[in-house]
Amino acid sequence: MTEQTSLSTASSTAPPVLLYLNGIFKTFGGIHALSGVTFDLRAGEVHALVGENGAGKSTLIKVITGAYTPDAGVIEIGGERYAGLDPELARSLGVGAVYQEFNLLPELSVAENILLAKPPLGRFGLIDTAERARQAVQLLERLGAAGQIDPYQLVKNLTVGEQQIVEIAKALALRAHILIMDEPSAVLPSRDLDRLFAVIRTLRAEGHGIIYISHRLNEIFELADRVTVLKDGHTMATAQVAETNTPDLVKLMVGRSLTDLYPPHDAARGDVLLETRGLNVEDTVFDVSLQVHRGEVLGLAGLGGSGRTTVCRALVGLGRIRGGSVTYLDKAAPRSPAAAAHEGIVLIPEDRKAYGLILNQTMRFNLSLPNLDHLQHFGVLYPNEERDAVKQAITDIQIRPAAPEITAENLSGGNQQKIVVGKWLLTHPKLVIFDEPTRGIDVGAKAEIYLRIRELTRQGVGVIMASSELPELIGMSDRILVFHEGRIVGELSREQFSEEAIMQLATATKADIASGTPIPAAPSA
Amino acid sequence: MTTIGTPVTAPPPPRWATLIRNNASILLIYGLILLVAGTAAIMAPNFRTPTNLVNILRQSIILGLIAIGQSMVIMTGGIDMSMAMVARIVALTVATLFLAGGSDPALIVPLVVVGLIVGAAFGLLNGLLITRTHASPFIITFGIASILRGVNLAISTTPIRGIPEEYLLVYDAKIGIVPINVLVMGLLWYLVWLFSTRARTGRALFAVGGSERVARLSAINVDRTLVIAYVFSAVCAAIAGLFILSRTGVGDPGTAEGMDFQSVVAVALGGISMYGGKGSLIGTLGGVLLIAMLSNVFNLLQVDIYYQQLLLGLVVLIAVAAYKSPRSA
Repeated sequence: MTEQTSLSTASSTAPPVLLYLNGIFKTFGGIHALSGVTFDLRAGEVHALVGENGAGKSTLIKVITGAYTPDAGVIEIGGERYAGLDPELARSLGVGAVYQEFNLLPELSVAENILLAKPPLGRFGLIDTAERARQAVQLLERLGAAGQIDPYQLVKNLTVGEQQIVEIAKALALRAHILIMDEPSAVLPSRDLDRLFAVIRTLRAEGHGIIYISHRLNEIFELADRVTVLKDGHTMATAQVAETNTPDLVKLMVGRSLTDLYPPHDAARGDVLLETRGLNVEDTVFDVSLQVHRGEVLGLAGLGGSGRTTVCRALVGLGRIRGGSVTYLDKAAPRSPAAAAHEGIVLIPEDRKAYGLILNQTMRFNLSLPNLDHLQHFGVLYPNEERDAVKQAITDIQIRPAAPEITAENLSGGNQQKIVVGKWLLTHPKLVIFDEPTRGIDVGAKAEIYLRIRELTRQGVGVIMASSELPELIGMSDRILVFHEGRIVGELSREQFSEEAIMQLATATKADIASGTPIPAAPSA
Repeated sequence: MTTIGTPVTAPPPPRWATLIRNNASILLIYGLILLVAGTAAIMAPNFRTPTNLVNILRQSIILGLIAIGQSMVIMTGGIDMSMAMVARIVALTVATLFLAGGSDPALIVPLVVVGLIVGAAFGLLNGLLITRTHASPFIITFGIASILRGVNLAISTTPIRGIPEEYLLVYDAKIGIVPINVLVMGLLWYLVWLFSTRARTGRALFAVGGSERVARLSAINVDRTLVIAYVFSAVCAAIAGLFILSRTGVGDPGTAEGMDFQSVVAVALGGISMYGGKGSLIGTLGGVLLIAMLSNVFNLLQVDIYYQQLLLGLVVLIAVAAYKSPRSA
């Protein structure tokens, strides 16, 4: 940590330190979430905070926003020293946070949301709505979004990207100059990413300090000035981004170097498991024809909203099919998740909290949920059988801690995702559809999920993997189908894989497609 | 986990501490029962007599039946506001048919079956409406209750006589000192407890209450689970209606008035989350016993009916305040 001290006492030409945390400790029920963390943030910088899930990032953020009071340590903001903050105090000191789950009221307008805490008052102490709209526009203008976001629009009608900007404007309305952004890119379709980065750069230029948390290391190299790595509640290092690189960061985060995150392809492709012909779903997916074979990983690429997720859901019977056919093992495919699971097709959905887990129930409850058919005789469940099945799932997929009675919401993102994967693998599926299998989970958990996918293909299971992480698609897939505006616009075989090739197809305009750019389908092996 | 700087792990809290924390609501409700019983035993000497204690159990039968059905429904995240009216229409229908059949004791078995079928039919209606329209269960069951209230008034506004003597004996029959209806209720509670902990559908009920979306994606047949819950609550209401008919001996147009509210109170007292997915039947049973005991004590102490309402409301507020979950950050 000597590096830290030297930084905070750097030469007088350096911009002022907005926030300085020193020796922060926080313990929960005997577990040290933070053990002597040191962190500082200067005016006009983007300081990235990285680390695996459970490394202490969230806890640290909560210490800064005043949600938690540290057990020991000093927080210095604006020259004052505090032993701990509370949310009100933190706000008044200029701390603002933008979380993954937005704190917006969907039924209120943009202006109402932005100035919710301190609306401008007019005569008789009533809210001056014209002034409120004016101030909202002013804030949006600073973020370069005044033209795109109407202050009178209801927040529920905005895209996720626009909501995020409203959320940032809301923090600015409270005069925040220490802005914490908790994985802001995780919720965004990639086309909104540039706008977010532009907003962050504007704020930096205005002299705000921004703490930027992300699992995507490439974003950090694009955006951040400095990076701090947390691991198991310790500050591993703080470095200038220009002076570090991805392997070094990964090594600091996981404590080992991941020479190859993606295990080698080692399964033989078998016969066709599932096939769609001219599939139209809802009003968003058109004319999708695809085949998935036993033992292969079929990657689905495309921007957010390109129809990947809709196709994944349609294959387990969700969403209204308006045309075309789905055949599975030469029969019409089942039309409900329950029937699909019964016949061996399972969907491991995106957003584990909303679709994957009953959060207030135990690990055991969640793991056995789709397996109740196997754990019952004449409708009665047998605790011993359940215990054995759950134990097996926990060992197979290495969920930690191996405590079946722990409540799901108390686990880290990586372990939650492992439960969702584990509960489905217990059903012995024949076709597994992963939608964003590793979103928001740490590198270690990712590696384990990739191993599991390879193991499945070795056993002759077919895998469909929809993902917005291109390295993951390239590393894991045998073939990649690229979606654009609800249609398949190209198929790439392994020798054709590259991030550029995928992005070109994924962002192609309709005219380009019509002119015949799609890469021809690879011949079947 | 590979670690540099291994986190220091404190020893886990003792087992009893975890037990207490995990079962806080149940301990609280039974603690309250003991408190009320203790106070009553001092203030009202005739409270302690075995006859009175059995009486309390008897008085809790009807509410117990309704509350057990209500628990199942609330566990799914719903609510059944039609239970009292279902109980009433079952009682009035059976009474009318007894009268039409000339009070023939031979009708008892077939009419009990008819009563159960009538109840189940309304449960099915509730369940289908809720799963097909995706409207709020409160509104749907309230609407059904309102319709049934009208139908009940049309059937009769005066007590219906003509219930065979033999049917009246059901309610008061005893094995030794224990009334049969207490046994029936105990058995039913035991079965439902088994069902909710050991049956596949019971597990599905918790899952649906936790998150319908996740349950559906986890291969649970959500609609079937919901329909089962509402049919079950309506059948419980029907059994309650049949017991009330046996107890009062006439088809009473005021049958089960206010039972919806009381059953929800019992469930809330027992610590079942109104958002579904959490809670235990043993808690609800405690809630029922507490309500029955309180009204028994009030009657022994000759507390004015208005104060009874007031005190009951206070108990609810105190209990609910005690369950308040720590505020999230």
